[in-house]
Amino acid sequence: MWRRIKKGLEVRIGLEDLVNTKLKRYTVPRNTNIFYTLGGVALAAFIIQALTGFFLLIYYVPHSDHAFRSVQQIMTSVPFGWLFRLMHVVGANLIVAVVFLHMLSVFFMGSYKKPRELTWIAGWLMLLVVLTFSLSGNLLPWSQLSYWTTTVVTAMPTAFPYVGDYIANVLRGGEFVSGVTLNRFFALHVALLPPVFVLFLVVHIFLIRRIGLSSPPFGEQTAGSGEWNEYRHVSYPDGYSFYPYFVLKELYMVLAYLVVMFFVITFVPTLFLPQGANIPADPLKTPAYIKPQWYFLAPYQMLKLIPNKFLGISIQLLLLAMFILWPFFDTGRERNILKRPLLLVAFLASLLLWIVLTVWGRTS
Amino acid sequence: MKRRKFLKSLLALLGSTTLVSFAYPLVRFIAPPSKKAEVKRLSLSKGDIPAGEAREVVFNNTPAIVINRPGKGYIALSKVCTHLGCLVEFNKEKARLICPCHAGEFSLDGKVLSGPPPKPLTEFPLRVEGESIIIG
Repeated sequence: MWRRIKKGLEVRIGLEDLVNTKLKRYTVPRNTNIFYTLGGVALAAFIIQALTGFFLLIYYVPHSDHAFRSVQQIMTSVPFGWLFRLMHVVGANLIVAVVFLHMLSVFFMGSYKKPRELTWIAGWLMLLVVLTFSLSGNLLPWSQLSYWTTTVVTAMPTAFPYVGDYIANVLRGGEFVSGVTLNRFFALHVALLPPVFVLFLVVHIFLIRRIGLSSPPFGEQTAGSGEWNEYRHVSYPDGYSFYPYFVLKELYMVLAYLVVMFFVITFVPTLFLPQGANIPADPLKTPAYIKPQWYFLAPYQMLKLIPNKFLGISIQLLLLAMFILWPFFDTGRERNILKRPLLLVAFLASLLLWIVLTVWGRTS
Repeated sequence: MKRRKFLKSLLALLGSTTLVSFAYPLVRFIAPPSKKAEVKRLSLSKGDIPAGEAREVVFNNTPAIVINRPGKGYIALSKVCTHLGCLVEFNKEKARLICPCHAGEFSLDGKVLSGPPPKPLTEFPLRVEGESIIIG
C-alpha cells in the first residue's frame, strides 16, 4: 500500500528528487549544537497549541456570561477536557520559554549578523505574536486573573498623551474591560493571530533556507564568514544531511519538550494556574494577588519601580526596539561573543537583571 | 501616455481607492462606541457611612467609593487607579486608598502619596442634603 502511494507520488511530483534536493542534500554544519533545534521545537510547540486550541474551541463559549463556566466544564465534565486545557495552558508558557532560549542562543552565537538581519526581525515578530497570543488567550477563561491582568495591559497605552486613551478604548471596546473586550480578544486569538504567525513563520523559514544556516562561531569557521557584498547561498558540502540526521536531532528535542510538558501536567498542574485563575471575573474587586505571567514579571516590576508611567512604558518600548533592530547597530564582523568582552558582559548583565526583576516581581 | 504607463496609473488609482474605501469603514467598525454622557445621581443615607468608614458604589458605570473623612466630611472618588486601571482598596488603619497592582497609594482626598500613579483619583461631585448624600 505504502509503496503504491510512494510510486504514485513519484510519478506525479517527483517525490524522490524533492526529498533528495530539499532534505537530503540540504546540509547543516557539522558543529551544530542542540540550541539549533530550538526553532524546530518552537514550531512543534505552535502546532500543539493550534491543535489543543482547536479542541478547546469545541466546548468554549466566548461570552462573558458563559466563558468561565464553559472552561470549568472543560476541566471537570468533558472527557479528558482537563488534559487538552492543561496542554494548552502549559504549552502557552513553554512556547515562550523555548522562543526566549532560541533568541538567546541566536544572540549568543551572533547569528543575527549580516546577512541574517531580516531572519532575526522575523523571529522577533513571531515572539511578539506569541506574546499577543498569550495576552489575548489569558482573558478568555474570564477569571479574576484574566480580567485584571487584561485591565492592566490594556491601560498601558494610556501612558501616551492624545492618542493613548483612544487606543486603550479600541482595545477594550469601551472604557473598561467587558464582554466586548472578550469578543475582541477571542477574535484576535483564534482568527487573526494564527495566520499572522504562519506568515512570519513562512518568511523566517524562507530566509533560513534561502541564505543557509549559520554555523556556530566557536571552533572552526566553516562557511559564511568574510565580506558579504552580494547574495550567495551558504552551504556546507562537508556537513551532514538535514534529513534524517538533523530531523532526528529535532525530534529528540521535541520529545524532550513533551516530557517537560507532561511532567508539569502530572506533578505541578497548577504551576501556571495560580490563585485567581479559578475565580470568576469580578469587575468591582481587584484581588491583592494579581501577578502577570512569569515572562511579564520583569516589565511588571520595572513599572512598579519607575515612578512615571510614561517613562516606564517608553523605556520598555525603547528597549524592545533596540533588541529588534540590534543587528543594524552591531555591524562588526566578529561573531564570537567570547572575543567581545564588552558585549559578553552586557549580555550577561542584561540576563541577570531580567532574572532579578522577574524574581523580585514574583516575591514583592 | 503609453498603454503600459496608463494601466499602471489606473491600477494605482483603483488600488488606493479600494484601500481607502475599506480603511474608513474598518476604523469605524473597530472603534469603541461613543461614550454617552451619564447624568444619573446616586443617593445614600448618611447613616450608612459612619465617620472613618467608606462605602463602595457604582456611579455612572464607574466603581466608586464614598468616604466619611473624620473632620473633613464626605468625598466621592473613582476607585479606578490612575496608573493602570486596577481598583484601589480603602485601608482604614492607614487611612489610605491602596492599589493592589503596582502599590500606588492615595490619601483619602484622592491625592497621590506614593507609587507610580500619575494623577489623583477622579472626584465626583457630592453634596449632603439633610440625611442624604447625593453624588452627581
